[in-house]
Amino acid sequence: MAPATGSTPRIDIRLPGEPFEPLTELAGWQRPHAAAEGHFIGRVRPATATGAPLEALELEHYPGMTEAQLQALASACAARHGAEAVLVTHRVGRILPGEAIVLVAVAADRRGPALRCVAELLEELKHHAPFWKREWSGGTGTWVGGNTPL
Amino acid sequence: MNSQGATVAAKVHVRLFAALRERAGWAERSLSFPSGGVEQTPAGLWRQLGLDPSPPAETGHLPAGIRVAVNHAFAAPDTPLAPGDEVAFLPPITGG
Repeated sequence: MAPATGSTPRIDIRLPGEPFEPLTELAGWQRPHAAAEGHFIGRVRPATATGAPLEALELEHYPGMTEAQLQALASACAARHGAEAVLVTHRVGRILPGEAIVLVAVAADRRGPALRCVAELLEELKHHAPFWKREWSGGTGTWVGGNTPL
Repeated sequence: MNSQGATVAAKVHVRLFAALRERAGWAERSLSFPSGGVEQTPAGLWRQLGLDPSPPAETGHLPAGIRVAVNHAFAAPDTPLAPGDEVAFLPPITGG
């Protein structure tokens, strides 16, 4: 399906190994301004899946494939919804509680496509972009077995 | 003897990630590609490398939740491999 704008969507994929500030990321990405934008910011919880205090979350990825998958998922989602631009910023490495882990932003001509594309892309990347989380608590690391419920 | 490039290409490169890597105790290996027209597949490599502590009776299948990538794209466990391919075994994905 061709984008409603008739032009190729702008896709930005970033995998920082250091903390990032989502609002600073967005400010740099919002050019030109679109009529509608949808955003999602995910942060690391202060507790593990079993409720223990979390020291840090470790994010492993598959260099090369992770970027390629995110690019393909974002391009397909933008095409389905006629979005004009997509930004995915996803942390890798060691992340502390409260730090941003993922930012998804979509620019479109209307709120419906912008919000729907954000929600779809977030679910798709959680299941189809190769990332693996390990929770560190009490000096012990535990690989996370699955995603949290929607 | 082939050129150096052909010698390097006559391998298949295997990568493991996260919990799979730690269970196996290694992250990457290069294996010689079988000669004589023998078909090589990711499922065959999985068995050959002994990656499953309790292999299923049925061949050609991987344990539930384990996915395969060939050259950075998801692929079926029975995908025929070519010399020089990079095969990755991926435990359940937990991003976002």
